[in-house]
Amino acid sequence: MKRKLAALEKVEADLPALQRKIRTDPSSYHDDFVNQYSQYQSLYELFEASPTTTDDSGLVRLRDLVDFVSHVADCYPSLTKGFAGQLTRLLEIHHVTLESELRDKLVGSLVLLRRKETIDSQALLQILWPLLISTPSKSLRALLFSKILNDLRTSNNKATNHKLNRSMQTTCYNLIASNPSSPKGLWAVKLTRELWKRQVWADAKAVSIMEAAALSQDAKVVTGGVRFFLGGDQEREEAADDDSEAEEGVDVRKLKHQAGINKKNDKRMKEVREAKKKIKKQERKKNAPHPLNFSALHLLNDPQGFAEKLFQQHLQPSQPKVKLNLEQKLLVLNLVSRLVGLHKLTVITLYSYFLKYLTPRQPSVTSFLASLAQATHSLVPPDVLEPLVQKIANEFVSEAAASEVASAGLNGIREICVRQPLAMNETLLQDLVQYRKSKDKGTQMAARGLLSLYRDVGAEMLKKRDRGRDAALKLRHTTTNEGGIAAARRFGQVEEGGIEGLDLLEKWKEEQGLDEDEDEVKGWENWDAESDGSESSGGWINVESDGEDIDVSDSEDEREKKQKADKLAKTTTSEEKENMDDAASRTTASLEPEAALAREEAKISKLATTRILTPADLTKLHELRQSTALLNNLPSAKRRKLAAQAAAAKAAKHADDAVTASDITGPSKLSHKNNKEERIAIAKGYRDGVIREGGREEGNDHRSTTARRKEKKAAEGKSTTNREKARKKNFMMTLGKAKRKGKRSLVEQRGILKAHVDRGKRGGKRGNAGN
Amino acid sequence: MGSSTKKKNEKKKGDFQKTKLKVGKTRPTNTNATDTSFAAKSIVLKQQNLGESGRDATTLFNHNLSLLSSKNETQRRDALQYLTAACISFGVANLPQSPGAIIAKAQSLILDGNSDVRTQLLKLLKVLPTTDLGSLDQILLYARAGMAHLSNDIKLFALDIVDWLLVSSPETLMACPGGWIKMLRTFQNLLVWQGEAVNGVVTHGKWSATRSTSNKLGSSKLLVHQLNTLTMFLTAGLTPPPIDPLAEVKRAALVFPLLETQCHLLPAKSEPFGYLNLFGAVRDVESEVYADADERANIFNELGMLDIFKAGAREAKKEAGEVGRAASGLEKALRLAEVG
Repeated sequence: MKRKLAALEKVEADLPALQRKIRTDPSSYHDDFVNQYSQYQSLYELFEASPTTTDDSGLVRLRDLVDFVSHVADCYPSLTKGFAGQLTRLLEIHHVTLESELRDKLVGSLVLLRRKETIDSQALLQILWPLLISTPSKSLRALLFSKILNDLRTSNNKATNHKLNRSMQTTCYNLIASNPSSPKGLWAVKLTRELWKRQVWADAKAVSIMEAAALSQDAKVVTGGVRFFLGGDQEREEAADDDSEAEEGVDVRKLKHQAGINKKNDKRMKEVREAKKKIKKQERKKNAPHPLNFSALHLLNDPQGFAEKLFQQHLQPSQPKVKLNLEQKLLVLNLVSRLVGLHKLTVITLYSYFLKYLTPRQPSVTSFLASLAQATHSLVPPDVLEPLVQKIANEFVSEAAASEVASAGLNGIREICVRQPLAMNETLLQDLVQYRKSKDKGTQMAARGLLSLYRDVGAEMLKKRDRGRDAALKLRHTTTNEGGIAAARRFGQVEEGGIEGLDLLEKWKEEQGLDEDEDEVKGWENWDAESDGSESSGGWINVESDGEDIDVSDSEDEREKKQKADKLAKTTTSEEKENMDDAASRTTASLEPEAALAREEAKISKLATTRILTPADLTKLHELRQSTALLNNLPSAKRRKLAAQAAAAKAAKHADDAVTASDITGPSKLSHKNNKEERIAIAKGYRDGVIREGGREEGNDHRSTTARRKEKKAAEGKSTTNREKARKKNFMMTLGKAKRKGKRSLVEQRGILKAHVDRGKRGGKRGNAGN
Repeated sequence: MGSSTKKKNEKKKGDFQKTKLKVGKTRPTNTNATDTSFAAKSIVLKQQNLGESGRDATTLFNHNLSLLSSKNETQRRDALQYLTAACISFGVANLPQSPGAIIAKAQSLILDGNSDVRTQLLKLLKVLPTTDLGSLDQILLYARAGMAHLSNDIKLFALDIVDWLLVSSPETLMACPGGWIKMLRTFQNLLVWQGEAVNGVVTHGKWSATRSTSNKLGSSKLLVHQLNTLTMFLTAGLTPPPIDPLAEVKRAALVFPLLETQCHLLPAKSEPFGYLNLFGAVRDVESEVYADADERANIFNELGMLDIFKAGAREAKKEAGEVGRAASGLEKALRLAEVG
């Protein structure tokens, strides 16, 4: 009896067991809970009276009770009404002196209460955020930060919790805005960046927090904000990629195979089922439309004001409020120039700021060059840029300068001139182009780059013999035929935009001879019907070829057919005329597709400016575009296509992309001769894991093909060949057969030989002749 | 066969093996190396200063008092033993520390895990003079925590402490914040007398297991003790202090021409306006001070506790035996509240 009692007492003291019982049947264990709760209450009171004493010597500790109560609090909501408030009080008043375990437990319990929805997210964040800001303990800060982050993520998991986000963003913003010189703002920056990375916050409000951070008066907060604008979006993309990659790796086939072979039990079945579900989920995710996320730079409210303020606060003044070191200054400069380049802002003072730093002795001058190039765009006055280009040329590009310096200078100049070709004058250009004869490869390449750029954008500035064939022809054509339309582009001139293939559409309409109004009505009708009828599809995309309704209209109206025939005749004649024109032009300049293009653009259709394109029109437009693309695949059009591709590649280097220091130093690698160690390192490449990552060193793998193939197979987790297996077989295992081999009778031997021949004929043991 | 010779060789070699040092490899650690890589945040002394020679009794007394918070159980117990002996030898008049200070040090041991320490603590408390115990807020808190403790031993012990408090200084106990209603609530919780649930088995509209007043496995020892202590507590709280009929006359004669002098004099007791609670945390009904027996009876009735307790006592009485006897004692005590 006594032993039993002792055991029972132990069980009673076992809080986890009681917790489990309460979870299963709350009403039966009501009294036990009341006991424990009153125990908690008295310990809480004791603790409040003397918060510094520890209760380690006692049987039950406050933190165990807190843990227990928070786990079952949702079963007795009326009893534990004040529980969360008590925990909050403890944390708020005593968080500095609390022993770390109890403190962490309190935080954890509050989060648990939030998970059980005893308190809401808003309340939880209102408790945790001030603690995070005020606590001196590093470990508590780390814990709080992770909890806050997790809570925000989970509450945005199913649907965006706008209310919570808004209040939290306001808190973050106020933290920075209320006291710009305090380093506490770093927490707001950290939180925002993390949530941006995970795509929880992707709106303008989050960007405005970072804007405030970048304009604050603490160096760390400033760099945090600036770094966000420079790398936040990239980080977000990478995180998204990582997520999709990390989730792969569930091999359903393997699991199924294993389930087929191993003993079947519920656990294995469940594994397979879960794997299937996961795969399905992944597939759905893969097929889901890509979330439309704007980059932080595009969500800025007032880029001009922001760039100006950044520049004026951190870079321009000789005694700035925040002391930034060179690295941080470069970051800020990078952001300012990025903004200027991306939004085509006008910050004139920025360019004279660069003047001081453009010397080869300046540390990390390539970054300055890159920033300058980034800050250049077509709307920067050439007068402002000219002295800069001149200075770069004087300081960097000379025979006396080191080859890296010269090539960096030339690259810098080229990058500036790509964005604003007018920044160059003729004499300087002709001088710089001479460096293509340099002995140094890097300089040579850089000079060639500049040359080819100006062949494209300003051939008349080059000497005649430098222009090259294409550029010279083009120049002659423009001067003779068009009276200088494409000649030297003027400052501020903007190219007209157009819809690709619109002329084709117009031509096609003319050919079809459709009455414009009627056709328009038809096109819209079609769209209306689509959008009304099918709710699932978008309506715009699913428009089938609208040839049908055109046919209908034809059959309805005989007269129209006639008209159409007339018009057809007309168009054919016009086409013939055009062909003749073409032929004529070919005689004058047989190899000038650009010119032909320009002429076509000259009579650019007024279709898009006079009427609204119907959905039917758009589909037809798409079709026509595709068909012309097919036509262009003919060999005759190949040259044009290549040119178009090059143009597309150029366009792909969008203004969104930053210019980096490596762009500037790029080809100067060529002018550097490898020393012995580097050569050896490259030769040894395949053994060195770090170098191997580059992929370039694949060719330096001096092993045999078999060895490489074997390694590849092993890496893929595939088996070896039978030969390989036989070769690797343990010697002792082969002994038995070898012993027996010598003692075979003749009859046995014959049988074996026969079987061998037969197998050879059949093609293997099972015979793979058929399959 | 093969393995045994190999083992023999290995054994032979092992003793006089010279470790080979290699260039470019880290040196193997010595066998007698001291590991200094750890970093402890606190150092726990298992044994604290034990030398007792050359110190006078007062220092020794204080030293032992400080030993009460030792990590070691036996040391705590020994310190308590020493203090008990010292209290007896010093006599009531000249203790090196006031009883209040001793209690403040020793009260946390009410929740001690070791039963020896607890019994020794009770012995110490019993030898302390009852005159100058100081404020009993803290010890009352500990006692309540003990009463609601998981362990039955500690529950019983806490009841012993309450008994001692009631015997030694009932008036001070009642003057503690929360000394009346909170204690009663604790008793209520312990006895599971939850108003509406006393006669029924339905709580919160859900069916639940039948509740019995007796404790598990027929051990009624705790229940009896609880009932007895409750009876004592109620009696102490509800009995008005004996009025000396001649006191008023005596006082009037002392200060003859004046009337109601004591109202205009500075109060003689310490912290006279403590009941106003000007500087402490805000108190609710439960932690309020009820200084008068009438007041206590009123609030006891107001909160509806009288009925609950009555019903509970009636139920407990049905169990007969020891429990029944204790319950009938309780009923008698409850009659005091009715009268008031």
